[in-house]
Amino acid sequence: MSGGYRQQPGGAGKVTRKDGKRVAGKQAFPPPGSGGSNPTMAPRDLDFIPEMVGGKEAQPAGAHVHDRARTGTSVGKPTALVDSNAKVTGQAWYGDDVRLANEVIGKILRSPHHYAKIKSIDTSKVEALPGVLAVATGADSPHQFGVLPVTKDEHAMAVEKVRHVGDLVACVAAVDEATAMEALNLFEVEYEVLEPVFDPKKGLEDADEPIHWRGKYHLARTNVQKRVFQEFGDRSLVETPLASSHGKWNMAGVHHGFTEPHAVVAHWDPNGRLQLYTPQQVPHYTHRALATVLDVPMHQINVIRTFVGGGFGGKSDPFPHEMCAAILARKSGRPVRITFDREEVYWINRGRHPSHIEVKMTADEEARISGFDIDALIDGGGFASFGHVTSYYNGVLATAPYELGSFHYTGARVWTNKPASGAMRGHGAVNTRCAVEVGLDEMSEQMKVDPIDLRLANLLPPHSRTISGFRITSNGMREALEKVREGSDWDSKFRQMPLGKGIGIGCGFFISGSGLPIHWDPNRFPHATVHMQVDMDGGVTVHTGAADIGQGSTTAVAQVVSEVLALPLEMIHVRSHESDTSPVDLGSYSSRVTFMNANAAIRAALEIREQLLNAAWEILGYHPNNLVLNDRRIYYKHDPAIGVSYLKALHKAQEDKGALIASGAYRSPPMGGVHKGAAAGLAPAYSFSAYVAEVDVDVETGMIKCTNVWAAHDCGKALNPLAVKGQIIGSCHMGLGQVLSEKMVYGRTGHLQNPNLLEYKIPSVHEMPHVEPIIIESCDPEGPFGAKEAGEGPLLPILPAVVNAVYDAIGIRLRDLPLTPDVVFKGIEKGMKAAGVDDPLDLTSPRVEHGALQPLLVKRAAEHKVRDRARQRSEDTDPYVNGVLFGFDPNLPLEDQVEGWRTATEPDPEQLAELGLAGKAWLKKEQRHMGGDE
Amino acid sequence: MVGTEHVEMIPVAKKEIWSAEVNGRAVEVLAPSNAVLLDVLRDKVGTLGVKRGCDLGTCGCCTVMIDGTPRLSCLCLAGQVEGSTILTVEGLADGAHLAPIQSCFAEHGGSQCGFCTPGFLVTAQALLNENDSPTDQEVACAIEGNLCRCTGYQQIVDSIQAAAAIHRGEAEPAAPASNPHPDPHPSGPEEPQMPPGHAR
Repeated sequence: MSGGYRQQPGGAGKVTRKDGKRVAGKQAFPPPGSGGSNPTMAPRDLDFIPEMVGGKEAQPAGAHVHDRARTGTSVGKPTALVDSNAKVTGQAWYGDDVRLANEVIGKILRSPHHYAKIKSIDTSKVEALPGVLAVATGADSPHQFGVLPVTKDEHAMAVEKVRHVGDLVACVAAVDEATAMEALNLFEVEYEVLEPVFDPKKGLEDADEPIHWRGKYHLARTNVQKRVFQEFGDRSLVETPLASSHGKWNMAGVHHGFTEPHAVVAHWDPNGRLQLYTPQQVPHYTHRALATVLDVPMHQINVIRTFVGGGFGGKSDPFPHEMCAAILARKSGRPVRITFDREEVYWINRGRHPSHIEVKMTADEEARISGFDIDALIDGGGFASFGHVTSYYNGVLATAPYELGSFHYTGARVWTNKPASGAMRGHGAVNTRCAVEVGLDEMSEQMKVDPIDLRLANLLPPHSRTISGFRITSNGMREALEKVREGSDWDSKFRQMPLGKGIGIGCGFFISGSGLPIHWDPNRFPHATVHMQVDMDGGVTVHTGAADIGQGSTTAVAQVVSEVLALPLEMIHVRSHESDTSPVDLGSYSSRVTFMNANAAIRAALEIREQLLNAAWEILGYHPNNLVLNDRRIYYKHDPAIGVSYLKALHKAQEDKGALIASGAYRSPPMGGVHKGAAAGLAPAYSFSAYVAEVDVDVETGMIKCTNVWAAHDCGKALNPLAVKGQIIGSCHMGLGQVLSEKMVYGRTGHLQNPNLLEYKIPSVHEMPHVEPIIIESCDPEGPFGAKEAGEGPLLPILPAVVNAVYDAIGIRLRDLPLTPDVVFKGIEKGMKAAGVDDPLDLTSPRVEHGALQPLLVKRAAEHKVRDRARQRSEDTDPYVNGVLFGFDPNLPLEDQVEGWRTATEPDPEQLAELGLAGKAWLKKEQRHMGGDE
Repeated sequence: MVGTEHVEMIPVAKKEIWSAEVNGRAVEVLAPSNAVLLDVLRDKVGTLGVKRGCDLGTCGCCTVMIDGTPRLSCLCLAGQVEGSTILTVEGLADGAHLAPIQSCFAEHGGSQCGFCTPGFLVTAQALLNENDSPTDQEVACAIEGNLCRCTGYQQIVDSIQAAAAIHRGEAEPAAPASNPHPDPHPSGPEEPQMPPGHAR
């Protein structure tokens, strides 16, 4: 809401209109429908109307289905977030800002042991403490819940055993914080300590007491929560590689580091309905879990999403403390507020998985990428969370944007006695993406080609299929690579800078909305629904369940409605806080909100628009095809003087029915293959990005400083360029943290040593490089006005870009993240030994002389550029599947390509011996195949 | 609370009347004599715009201006600043008119999730009060104690520089319109009229 903020002046405003008539009462603005004091509307903003429908906005990617709904009102214009005034005045209400009358304070007793059976809990002393109003333990919450229906393995409080230090044991509500803290000391809990598992490699082995037990589906007696095997393509292609890269990576776990600690307020209202206030990205899952845990039907629960002080995936699980607050509130009959301190935030975690990743890549004699072999062992911590999906994402999201000859992935997620890992920005894709992009860099060096040209000559075109069957629609990868190459002056810097200065490239590929809703069949229910209502005063109220976590989803929804109806943003009111008033929505994860909710909102707005145009038709006599919407007016397109105000048309439309109401829904088209796990990674559209990073490495200390980043991201269409740029720069910040400084440190005893913001090193303003955000608009055919995601994909390329730049600077490949000075200096010492020098300043940085393949790649890239352009503009609509580059027939389904083509989701017996680390999970059998079911 | 051993709680301190000037208003509240300023501001005075992010002085969300100097209210005992002039984010606006720093944060993307914003605003305002033409490096040094996880700081620095330009008088402050669209329903260039002889 630009233009300053001031409250309505009440009675003291102007009391006469321009035409001199007095206005009844003391209104400061003209009464509705008066025609107003300013008789002219704003001119149409042709710069923001596509050229195909008569405007001046360039459309290199061709026409879009929503072009006709454009009015030049707000789409594509840098727009301040509609809730930013609340934020800058301190009035935004986050979790802990909800203060209800008579509230009491809840506190949680947490496990001091990594792994232990709870033998008994004595609460009598707690209950006897004056000021304690309610006590609850695992006995009060026997039902299990979890974010994914297939892996419900959490309780509100430990029922049988505690699974990590900080696991919830009991909770208490008391009149004030001091009393509640005192009460925590009075619990008497008897534990039987069990042998904990910290190393994910150990998790692959049989244990006496697996952390969870899945009955007949349990894998032997291991701690493996999920294993994945996927193989696609022609494996014979990898046998005679020209170049190959083999890297073993160790990536530390990282945390979202949102600034707002978790907080929740629960209140059972006088009618016995639960009102739960929580900063949630996904209120609907909490809603479902609450109903299960509390044994209350969903309609008796109202989940109110407060403002969310940062989420990044860390506030998308239904959390046990939300259940605790509800249980305590029910027992005490008072509103209960639970606020975490920063340490507790780390105990609940859900950050990125600590990972062991092994990547083998090969390229053939024409510098085509003949194979990706990925093995990912990920450390899930104590609970499943989103881990089922993460296990897949670590592999399948590496299948693009390149054309591959074959793809092989083994993944395993194991339970360990640490706080649970979960979904974090770039869910599952970040770590393998880094490994793969660094491998490409290594192969390009072996082949004596430029890494950008290697990528440009191996890209999948728009409107194609990846090797695992994902449907790619718009694709701005090529343009992104070209833009960062140009912007960074790559050709005069790469492999030409002095020791200690380096430049590197990395690419990214991410889903724009998960293709399958977790909880229901997409053929029966849509992904997103938006309700809209226009009352007599002309204000538009939009109800959506989309959770704004700061990324600006509310603004995006308001913008598209304002665009379609040609109304100023101030007339659009988005209500998205309460489950009582908003339609069911899956929430803010998998970068789905803009794509799905804005699409649903456009549909609802188009319905309203049609009714308005029909009303104008009745008044003016011109068919809606000849009418134009602009700035609160509808007029005849050849003569703006012939028209009717928005309000008059609205009142005409309302004559019979009162308020205009519309509902719009979005569902994704049918997609994907039939193999096991085919749904993981499916999305109606994909985003692409390419970053170039420049670093300074101090070879004497190992300190890395990233100085410049050129960040090109294909977001389809930037509905709000200000927000897209903010997302790109913010992603750089978070990715830089992971690659340079952030790390959850588990000591020798498995204890998390840095659960605070002092020792968990989030980059400050001084560590930030200058980021040049470059927006690429490939105009997705199914996106709202062409938009795709911009929230998670931009994080992926920064990690490999920095790692590759460090190699360019010092000639040493580092594969232990984060690249803290000690890690880097160890690498430098090794490099010195290998080079036989005593002074790090005598190291040499790598140089490149292009070989015979380079001109071939440049030529192929130029040909593909022509191909891609024709496909992007739908001038070439022939089918294209991954593998055409290898001579496959685009008209054949992938699995029928050649004799050697494989689509496998389980290893062949003869493959078992050669599987990687995570692949070892396939050596075990499920209980049901072992003849036992305990 | 993680721990096995029983820790004797610090006895609850005696409550005393604490007074200060908060956002131009004289405030008197009853608070324990060992209360932390952040707790007093949030729980007693009711300035919930002061955010609690870490309790350790690491995130800067709780920054308030005390006698013109930005300080972390989580590291400050209320008793230490008894009687001083305290400015929180709620006091930045002039009545209902946003301060330049506030409108610039909104317009230049300095605020995304908004949780760290109050701390940044107070810190930045303190800088601008001292220096209305800071270099980017000076801005960075001023906000180095504030963590932001959303924006990557770049748009925050932009916002502060835009506000500095307003302070220097080089740019116009955002128009404080009571209603950005004083005329909600404009008509066309001329009065609307029925076109003659057109069939429906």
